[in-house]
Amino acid sequence: MPDVLESPDAGRRDRGLTSEPEALATQSNATFADRSGSDARAEEPILLFQHVSKWYGPVIGINQVTLELRPGITGLVGHNGSGKSTLLRLAAGLMRPDLGDVTIAGHDAWSADAKRHVGYCPELDTFYEEMSGRQFVLTMARMCGYAYDEAFRRTEETLELVAMGDRADRTIAGYSKGMRQRIKLAQALLHDPELLLLDEPLSGIDPIGRRESVELFRELARRGKCLLISSHELEELEKLTDHVAIMAAGRIAAVGTLTQIRDLLDDHPLSIRIASDQNRILAAALLELDDVGGVDRDERHLVVRAKNPRRFFQCLAELVVDRMIEISHLETLDESTHDVLGYLLGGRSARDA
Amino acid sequence: MASLLHYRPWQGEFHSPWWSIWPIARVSLGMFLSRRMFWGLYACGLLLFLMFFFGAYLLAWAESQLGVAAQQFGRDPSRMLRGIRQALRILNGSQDTFQYFFAYQGGIIVVTLSLAGSLLVGDDFTNKSHAFYLAKPISRWHYILGKCAAVAVIVQLMTTLPALVLYGQHAFDDWSYLTNVNYFYENDTGKGPAGIPLLLAVLGYGLLLSVFLSVLLVATAMWMRRTMPLILVWMSLFFFARVLANILVDGLKYDARWRLIDLWNNVTMLGQGMLAYAHEDINPKPQPEFWEAAAVLIGVTTICLMYLNHRTQGVEIVD
Repeated sequence: MPDVLESPDAGRRDRGLTSEPEALATQSNATFADRSGSDARAEEPILLFQHVSKWYGPVIGINQVTLELRPGITGLVGHNGSGKSTLLRLAAGLMRPDLGDVTIAGHDAWSADAKRHVGYCPELDTFYEEMSGRQFVLTMARMCGYAYDEAFRRTEETLELVAMGDRADRTIAGYSKGMRQRIKLAQALLHDPELLLLDEPLSGIDPIGRRESVELFRELARRGKCLLISSHELEELEKLTDHVAIMAAGRIAAVGTLTQIRDLLDDHPLSIRIASDQNRILAAALLELDDVGGVDRDERHLVVRAKNPRRFFQCLAELVVDRMIEISHLETLDESTHDVLGYLLGGRSARDA
Repeated sequence: MASLLHYRPWQGEFHSPWWSIWPIARVSLGMFLSRRMFWGLYACGLLLFLMFFFGAYLLAWAESQLGVAAQQFGRDPSRMLRGIRQALRILNGSQDTFQYFFAYQGGIIVVTLSLAGSLLVGDDFTNKSHAFYLAKPISRWHYILGKCAAVAVIVQLMTTLPALVLYGQHAFDDWSYLTNVNYFYENDTGKGPAGIPLLLAVLGYGLLLSVFLSVLLVATAMWMRRTMPLILVWMSLFFFARVLANILVDGLKYDARWRLIDLWNNVTMLGQGMLAYAHEDINPKPQPEFWEAAAVLIGVTTICLMYLNHRTQGVEIVD
């Protein structure tokens, strides 16, 4: 659980995340601001959705989505059927939108020029079982337009990168789920794409592999890549990034850091657990604040329900200084992706997502 | 893992997406060739080829033996030779040889492709693995052409390649077979052209089979995906349609144009046209005009291409 007194990006400062509100989108329009500093802010977004809709017959896949992604890692979360996979497929150029435009680095996502900037790792696990992992990745390298020697070199490099170099000669039929994930990841990384679209990339990977994958994703983000990661593994996603795009019913419900999104959820006061050397005095003082909805007290802690977290923390800081109260513990109780998702998606358990 | 991240910037020129057709085809061919059943079918085709290949030597041996025997018994061998040549005319390297060879091999090809369609194309859609291809910098037409190329290679391996070997065998036996267009008329050994026109006709027949069958297979396999439904579709197209056409034209004496519903008849008719058969020599009689058969094949191919275009507009999968 992140400590509110620290930056929510404590473990992710390497990405140069800004702490100002970037954007939160409701009503389907989401402009996801830059997370890489002012230089990148001026650049073209790598991925741009402009009022995009996609229907499957009478069913709407995504509805009037506007989204802008720049370098860094973004988690894509939402319930089953919320439109995550459709959004990824549109971004990968696998489908054409019925309305609106999807562009990658300024090119129509459907075009070959755009696809040179994209690495797509789909969720599916069954593919070309008779081939060896090496053959498959090499074939995908040839698809990217490399001459054989270069395709071979890149194949070997990316297989080493995903720790499959020594197992790549076995047929895919004999691979575990985790090994299949690594091979899929390898084919997505082959051409050093600026935009990586990863659908459930951590699913089925063992803990060590997950840690390695997370490190790899961070390293890629540090190198200025844009990663859009759809995942049901919210805990893993939280370790990776706190920037999320939350989808619901084909729309982008919110985009931004979890803290920013949480701050704007006025209907759901933030619960904060505080321990101090003067709990009784602190509780009385907190109850006088307009932004505090209530305070519960047990033997060691206070649990405060803050209506406006940002103003609350400003007031709390002034309060403890004025009254010489020593805070020994402070944590937010419902600022996780699960909680935010649960609030945003209106009552359905976020763990269903 | 992250420490291993060391891309070297790519300095070279990217190949055109057209280069991706062969890797796509090779993946499909690799899967095809890894199945024993298809080697079995290929072996059946090879047996037919061997029949034609060694049959030519059988014909030559029979002619020589007949000549000797006729002299011993004091009979005119020419009449008997004509009878033998007429009976074994499909082995003499003439238009008949290639017509029968393509027709027999075509039967095996149709069986093979109806069994292999799911593996070559349908599984991509069943498993959604075509997403890997379509996410790369190629267009959907490159993907379709890659799949068609795989089918075409199989067709060529089973028809054109052995037919060229047969052609080479006859040319090797007698060089004038290759150089003299009127070889058969001058030697009174058969009909039709020899030489380069026959070679071009063989290549054209193979090309016709490759193009039509590959487009048809890719379209029907994208539609049906699974093996059994695909077999039923191909049985309907190549067997039941043929039976129906025969009933309508030969049995009920309907117009010859009803034979156009028999796609295989249209293919073989055009093939025989390339081999310089006269319209009235084509069996079964009566037949529609050449241009009508060509129009039907072009129409079916166009419909298949339109379907392929529509089907690969996107990975239209609702989870």
